[in-house]
Amino acid sequence: MNNPGIRPECEELLNALEELNIEEGVTEAEVLSSLSMQPRQHAMECEECRSAVADRVTTRAALAPMKETLPEPGPWFGARVMAAVQTAENEIEEKRDGVWIGVRRLAPRLAAFAALLLVLGGTWAMEVRRREATLEGPEKRPVEGLFETTPNTVTNDDIVASSSEGVRP
Amino acid sequence: MPEPVTGGSAETGEARREADRELVRRAQQGDKEAFETLVRKHQGRVFAVAGGILRTREDVEDIAQQVFLKAYFSIKRFDQRAAFSTWLYKITVNECWDLLRKKKVRPLLYEADLNEEQAHAYQSTEDGNECAPDVSERLEAREQLDQWLECLDEKDRTILVLKEVQGFTVEEIAGIMGLNGNTVKVRLFRARQRVAERIRRKKRAASV
Repeated sequence: MNNPGIRPECEELLNALEELNIEEGVTEAEVLSSLSMQPRQHAMECEECRSAVADRVTTRAALAPMKETLPEPGPWFGARVMAAVQTAENEIEEKRDGVWIGVRRLAPRLAAFAALLLVLGGTWAMEVRRREATLEGPEKRPVEGLFETTPNTVTNDDIVASSSEGVRP
Repeated sequence: MPEPVTGGSAETGEARREADRELVRRAQQGDKEAFETLVRKHQGRVFAVAGGILRTREDVEDIAQQVFLKAYFSIKRFDQRAAFSTWLYKITVNECWDLLRKKKVRPLLYEADLNEEQAHAYQSTEDGNECAPDVSERLEAREQLDQWLECLDEKDRTILVLKEVQGFTVEEIAGIMGLNGNTVKVRLFRARQRVAERIRRKKRAASV
């Protein structure tokens, strides 16, 4: 067991004891006789190891009947498991589809709502431009005739060029 | 007369593991028949492992089904470093302990009613049915065993039952419980000491 507190001979015997498959009804003497010479000899000399053998036999005898009380699966168990698997898979499928079904059902309404928003938004924007144009008045609006050029705008380059020549615009 | 004490056999175990590996590979690719084969191969042992920890047949059946459902939906993540059986029994032990913990928290919710066997036994006794003793004897035997194992915590109890009742090797138990082999051996040694002492004390008290 690699236990620092345990002697190597004890460890050897306990390891050997653990490797044995002990059937129900086997006596202590039969267990000891099935061990190899060294562990067997040690068990005769060591009280603790002798107790360990006795404990192994006692618990094996006491617990062996438990096997008879254990339930066994019925012939239908495999089918029941596969049916449960199928049900679980269907539920997962439905949940996944549920989200998309919802979106598909709402799609026409969403499309109509979006169209309505576009129309209302466009109408509002046009209305705002029209009002702004009315408030500004005809003089303020720049006139662009066929034979008139657009007024010159002064840029930074012009200012820099003019100041270097000592001429202000 | 067969040898009462024998060593373990590794050869058939290796062939079984190889067959399981192939079935797991197919199940991981979505082959439901392969998974069903795994269910049929291992259902007996899963029932036995759960039966060693839980007391009623209904709990064992429910847990066993839950175990295989979990295995089905997790099998793609199973990397086959351990044997499929070890992985499956590990899930079984954990599911059983989870149920026991829930029962400790809400005992009335889970144990208010008699289980089917107990109900049948009491009903038959009332009706004067001759079949009753068989069921009652089994229930009594199980009660006695549970009393002997009461002195152990759930881990030690599981380890002892897996070894002495199910016949798992120390290495298999170590894999199922997530412990190393030496720890399993030490726990077995101490668990046997406690149980044997309890049995001897009860026998002494009974003989007085």
